[in-house]
Amino acid sequence: MKYAYYDTDDPIVALATPWGESALAVIRVSGTASVDMAAPCFSRPDRLLKGDSHTIHYMNFIDPADNMPIDEVTVAIYRAPHGFTGQDSLEIFCHGSLVSIKKILETLKSVGFRDARPGEFTLRAFTQGKLDLTQAEAVQEIVSAKSRQAHSLALHRLSGGLFSHIDMIKRDLLLILSRIELQLDYAEDEVVLDEEIDEISLHKAIRALGELAATYRTGKIFSQGVKIALAGPTNAGKSSLFNLFLKEDRSIVSDIHGTTRDYIESWISIKGIPVRLYDTAGFRASVDVIEEEGIRRSIQLLEDSDLVIYMIGTEDISSLMEEHPEYIYIWNKSDIREGNAPEGSLPLCSLTGEGFSDIEKEIISRLEITNIDNSGEHEIMIDSLRQKELLDRGVISLDSAVEAIESGMPLDVVAPDIQDCIDALGEITGEITSADILDTIFSGFCVGK
Amino acid sequence: MDVDAIVIGGGHAGIEAALALSRLQFSTLMITQSLDAIGRLSCNPAIGGLSKGNMVREIDALGGEMGNLIDETMIQFRILNRRRGPAVQAPRAQADKFSYNRLAKETLEHQKGLSLFQDTVVDLILDSSGTRVIGVVTERGRRFHAKVVVLTTGTFMDGKIFIGEYVASSGRLGEPAALGLGTALRRMGLTLGRMKTGTPARVKRSSLDFDKMEIQPGDSLMQPFSFSREKIERPSLSCWITFTNEKTHQIIQDNIHRSPLYGGQIVGLGPRYCPSLEDKVVRFPDRDRHQIFVEPEGIGTEEMYLNGISSSLPEDVQEDFIHSIEGLEEAEIMRTGYAVEYDYIDPTQLYPTLECKQFKGLYVAGQTNGTSGYEEAAGQGLIAAINAGQSLLGKAPLILSRSEAYIGVLIDDLVTKGTNEPYRMFTSRAEYRLNLRHDSADQRLTRKSYEIGLQSSEALERLEYKLKGIEEIKELLRVKKHEGKSWIQHLKRPEMTIDQIVDSVPELNSFDPVYVNQVELDIKYEGYIKRQEQQVKRFERMEFMKIPLDFDYDEIEGLSNESKEKFKSVRPMSVGQASRISGVRNSDIAVLMVILGRKKRG
Repeated sequence: MKYAYYDTDDPIVALATPWGESALAVIRVSGTASVDMAAPCFSRPDRLLKGDSHTIHYMNFIDPADNMPIDEVTVAIYRAPHGFTGQDSLEIFCHGSLVSIKKILETLKSVGFRDARPGEFTLRAFTQGKLDLTQAEAVQEIVSAKSRQAHSLALHRLSGGLFSHIDMIKRDLLLILSRIELQLDYAEDEVVLDEEIDEISLHKAIRALGELAATYRTGKIFSQGVKIALAGPTNAGKSSLFNLFLKEDRSIVSDIHGTTRDYIESWISIKGIPVRLYDTAGFRASVDVIEEEGIRRSIQLLEDSDLVIYMIGTEDISSLMEEHPEYIYIWNKSDIREGNAPEGSLPLCSLTGEGFSDIEKEIISRLEITNIDNSGEHEIMIDSLRQKELLDRGVISLDSAVEAIESGMPLDVVAPDIQDCIDALGEITGEITSADILDTIFSGFCVGK
Repeated sequence: MDVDAIVIGGGHAGIEAALALSRLQFSTLMITQSLDAIGRLSCNPAIGGLSKGNMVREIDALGGEMGNLIDETMIQFRILNRRRGPAVQAPRAQADKFSYNRLAKETLEHQKGLSLFQDTVVDLILDSSGTRVIGVVTERGRRFHAKVVVLTTGTFMDGKIFIGEYVASSGRLGEPAALGLGTALRRMGLTLGRMKTGTPARVKRSSLDFDKMEIQPGDSLMQPFSFSREKIERPSLSCWITFTNEKTHQIIQDNIHRSPLYGGQIVGLGPRYCPSLEDKVVRFPDRDRHQIFVEPEGIGTEEMYLNGISSSLPEDVQEDFIHSIEGLEEAEIMRTGYAVEYDYIDPTQLYPTLECKQFKGLYVAGQTNGTSGYEEAAGQGLIAAINAGQSLLGKAPLILSRSEAYIGVLIDDLVTKGTNEPYRMFTSRAEYRLNLRHDSADQRLTRKSYEIGLQSSEALERLEYKLKGIEEIKELLRVKKHEGKSWIQHLKRPEMTIDQIVDSVPELNSFDPVYVNQVELDIKYEGYIKRQEQQVKRFERMEFMKIPLDFDYDEIEGLSNESKEKFKSVRPMSVGQASRISGVRNSDIAVLMVILGRKKRG
């Protein structure tokens, strides 16, 4: 639906600071009744419900599902017509960890907020007359630029492959819908062809859209990077592997040093994928309180990582392998160690680098990155949440259409679901109108009456 | 003679316009070329059909006359698409065209405050500013003054008839065209175009061999279109079905060069949706046959209508191809088929009220706006009259939304996008058709018309009674349980029908079966209807963002020139309407919203 873009008062949420690790991050929500809507996500909802405009409150941000705290935050309340957008809105100052930012965004969406589109807060600010007349010209320019950008997500920013891929699926659906509409437009005794609805194509479309939506992870990996942690006991060869990664990679972005006791991290690139690599503190029973704290943080880090590479030491790892089959296990050959790599692990000679390329391959395969050709270029892939959400909506609509068909619902009930999917795809690729459907019908069919 | 309102034309748009204006207490004069031709069914002797039947019931709910006219004169009734879903079922009736036509005239004659006069309007009178229509001039030089004029000329404005090489100035076979008005409107600066439509031959009943055709009887129960009527008891006549064949198509192929359509004499674009047989043969060469409905034109007449084979080929060719069809071998042609080409007004020159943007007080409705079909015409006539009345009283116009009526879809499409071929309504034109069921037209529209003063208080009481009945039935099904579940839950299962429940819940028998049927649909499709309502809410937000009529698009910096020109030409009344103008960029809609948002805040 192209109308959706211009809704100016439904509740939206967005991260107002750059997506990345920092001391603090600001998350902003806006929209009619948005303060009331967000209140259950805070440990003291009354402070929000009753709080005056321009007041700041300190409390926990919680998951309303189980009341578990997610982060300590300060939250600023703005009530219409104040604040940047002129609507009821909140600015939530949280810790700048990507994990808590992500959780807070997800929680807010679970209570009814949706992702703001590019420029949407600004658009609201203009719509609400929050900017003065001298700014008006500049404002219009920005607005049209922003929305044009949204439109050209369809036409320009997308790679040609994605556009034609979606367009192809859309055409298939349009054909199915045209056939349904043709039957609906003429009485049952007028049109001789009373065809079965093409369920196979619907299933095919559902699969294709699902697969495309799944590339969001890949797309995101390319645009935002992945977190890989090296774990294992001290002296297992973590640092050697870490250095091997650094040596292999000629496009090191930067070196960031955490507390040495905790971990070392570095931006590297594996097969074109930006990777934030962490060398964690070793696992070792320790009485040293500081080191214990370091290990606790290391464990936390492992949980937050997209992938963990575990360097096997001398310990028996069979129970660990059972508990964490998702880890990549590496057995490092060295002068002091003989024998073969245990089953389920990859051998590496950190001195010669032998086995390293297999590790890289394994990393790529574990990240479930699809559609990478030899040049490392990725093609049919999505990288925006908006696209993913539209694809998800399309899949839900088609699922509902299939369900309706299978439960024997009539075609006029099925059609709006297919139309909704086409609208969702249309929002990605451009516009379609119901006139298009008529054109498809009448160029392809003869009608009796 | 000075009146409040003049209606030009006595077709289906003119009838509704004249009746509505006079019922709203405005002194009204209808000027028509022939009093005998009022309400004539020029083409198909039938009213209703898919989406059209819905429109007839919408017209009735709004206080129009069409439902009543067909209820009084139907000779066969069918609910189409019974096997299909709720949104696409629709009533259709064959009419006794003579009774229809006579009753239409009689209804107009008996209407208080309405005068009828036979003459041909050739020009409009403008006030001194040249921007307001204040009357009309007729062929015989008579001048009539009025505050508003509703133009409903149908196919008569510079109408031209084609049968093969034969061309004549006519609006309908045997009836003269209305000459001069089209020229006058062009001189005033309006954009007019040419359109074409056609009608098939009528054949003599006793010359047909019905044994070779398939009979198509009506439903056993005739159901009224009008919400004011409970039942219709009248014998039902049958129709028949036959098909063209390869020989028929060969005859047409061999003579296609003699068609005025393909010979280039007709410049107007014909309807894609209701094409002539020669169109079908040329455009769909793979089809080896096309369906023909053989329909009675009325009681006490031998004339039968050959629905599906309209043609403007020469008479000898028409005769040949008709005789090649099974059951029609010996058919005696009584009236020949023909094409008619006429002037229409580009409807994007109108507001959604159907008032002309350029000339205040001039309303245009019906086929003149490029539509096809009696129902489309009648719906426009009614809305034009209501809005002419509202403007005379200085009240807010009645603009039906796309989500509340097919008439709303129709008018929005016409004034926003225009049309370059005769516009026929289809269910697929409506985005929210689950909401536009024919049985709910009264729930959607009656109150609006009552508030305007057109619909009667009885109609409102009837509606309230119905709503109460529906609630009672729902309550009954909610409270009564079977195997631990309410009947509502049972009814949601696809295979379950309310008829199966009646034995267990005999109280249902005390309600009007129409109400019971509606409850069944409401419950069965509840989830889908709710989803549709959410879509409607999303849609309405942009509809509710109104654009002032005097809005100065030139003043806005951010708009693209292309969109600016389109906005200035269409003059959309809401952001929603603006977004439907073809070729307008999303970004320009955003800019528009920004500016409107600012204006609202002052």
